[in-house]
Amino acid sequence: MSMLELSHVKKSFKENPVIRDISISVEQGDVVAVLGPSGSGKTTLLRCAGYLSQADGGTVTLDGETFDLHRISKRDVVRYRRKIGFVFQSFNLFGNKTALQNVTAGLTIARKMDKKEAERIGLEALEKVGLLDRKDYYPSKLSGGQQQRVAIARAIAPNPRVIFFDEPTSALDPELTEEVLNVMKKLAEDGITMIVVTHEIEFARRVANRVILVEDGVIVEENDADTFFIHPRQKRTIDFLRRTKWKPEGELLSDEGVI
Amino acid sequence: MTERIFHELVDAFPKLLLPAIKVTIPLTLLSFSIGLLIALTTALVQVAKIPVLRKAARFYVWIIRCTPMIVQLFVVYFGLPSIGIRLASFPAAVLVFSISVGAYCSETIRAAIESVSSGQMDAAYCSGFTFSQAMFHIIIPQACSTAFPPLSNSLIGLVKDTSLAYSVALVEILASAQRIAARTYDYFWLYLEAAVVYLIICSFLTVLQRRGEKALEARR
Repeated sequence: MSMLELSHVKKSFKENPVIRDISISVEQGDVVAVLGPSGSGKTTLLRCAGYLSQADGGTVTLDGETFDLHRISKRDVVRYRRKIGFVFQSFNLFGNKTALQNVTAGLTIARKMDKKEAERIGLEALEKVGLLDRKDYYPSKLSGGQQQRVAIARAIAPNPRVIFFDEPTSALDPELTEEVLNVMKKLAEDGITMIVVTHEIEFARRVANRVILVEDGVIVEENDADTFFIHPRQKRTIDFLRRTKWKPEGELLSDEGVI
Repeated sequence: MTERIFHELVDAFPKLLLPAIKVTIPLTLLSFSIGLLIALTTALVQVAKIPVLRKAARFYVWIIRCTPMIVQLFVVYFGLPSIGIRLASFPAAVLVFSISVGAYCSETIRAAIESVSSGQMDAAYCSGFTFSQAMFHIIIPQACSTAFPPLSNSLIGLVKDTSLAYSVALVEILASAQRIAARTYDYFWLYLEAAVVYLIICSFLTVLQRRGEKALEARR
């Protein structure tokens, strides 16, 4: 059984269908990259999975427990969210808390963990993202890349079952993107389960073991990373990869051999 | 200004300062504290979108903001006794001013809360916070620095509005000046002196506001 399963997620804004019907299942230790053009519904999918947007329909199953993405009790949503982590495009660090407090807040305030213990975990998480020396800085005093790394430390600190990344590097310049991607690569090597909505094809190629292409609210192609990039099955995948100007290491082939 | 008037004003000054300390300042502080609690509750009820209470909150703000405070004072002090509720001047004034501060400041607080980026709430939720944990630990602390200047405005406004309590027989600064002037007929000078007492109190609050803003600034 998969660790996390999103089934038949649907979401419209007014009359506009953003997610038509998407199902994804994720195994423990998977790094799933979700690619797709802007407006394809990938961010919305992630927000629905974190109960930040209300889906019109669909369910999420985490560790065998199924929750309705459209309706959920207040108790269940808090319980569910305490098992996931979320990293945002715009970092969203708590502006009134230092780097360390950002990481420990979820432990002490939400999970009522002992302060000392939370601090130990928090420092460990900051060390993992290489920001131990910035622990007492407020977010406004950190660079974008540093803020995002603190946000990642905040997401991993409670040891969630899965971490959702919503375009974690889209707000960063190339240099800062690199430092964030390196941290994420390290998490992947540690076996942390991640779903990453991204425009970083390079990252998807190098780090993800599975890749999903979403367009117009449906999954176009879902494959292991090698197949996706070297032998994509769908014409639309080939078109997408061409548009992103990604330089494949092998020749692009489809099942039918059409290029 | 003749020497006689000068001496009279010097004599009168402590007689205006005393009601300031004994009446105006306690009335202001008490009303403002109670008012802020009402304001916070009223704002939270609206932000949390609690069905019936939210409508009630809108209704309350509407009624209080759209009627003059002096009319509210009259209703409470002269009107309520006719249905058997008798309040002395001071509690009547505290009641009216608290309710008034509550209505105006609830809008300030609501706007300040709504000005905090929605990403902060998203992040709090994804850190496992409940709505009220997110509000009290993340959103409200950040809304404070936005709300602080307009709330200071309301406090300074209230100091001066307490002079309306003169109309419900409360002997505060203005009433004291009026009483002294009634004996000497130097209305012009005594009312000016009363104005100076208000000016002193409000200037002090203005300085406090500056310091408060700096302190809030340093915390981010």
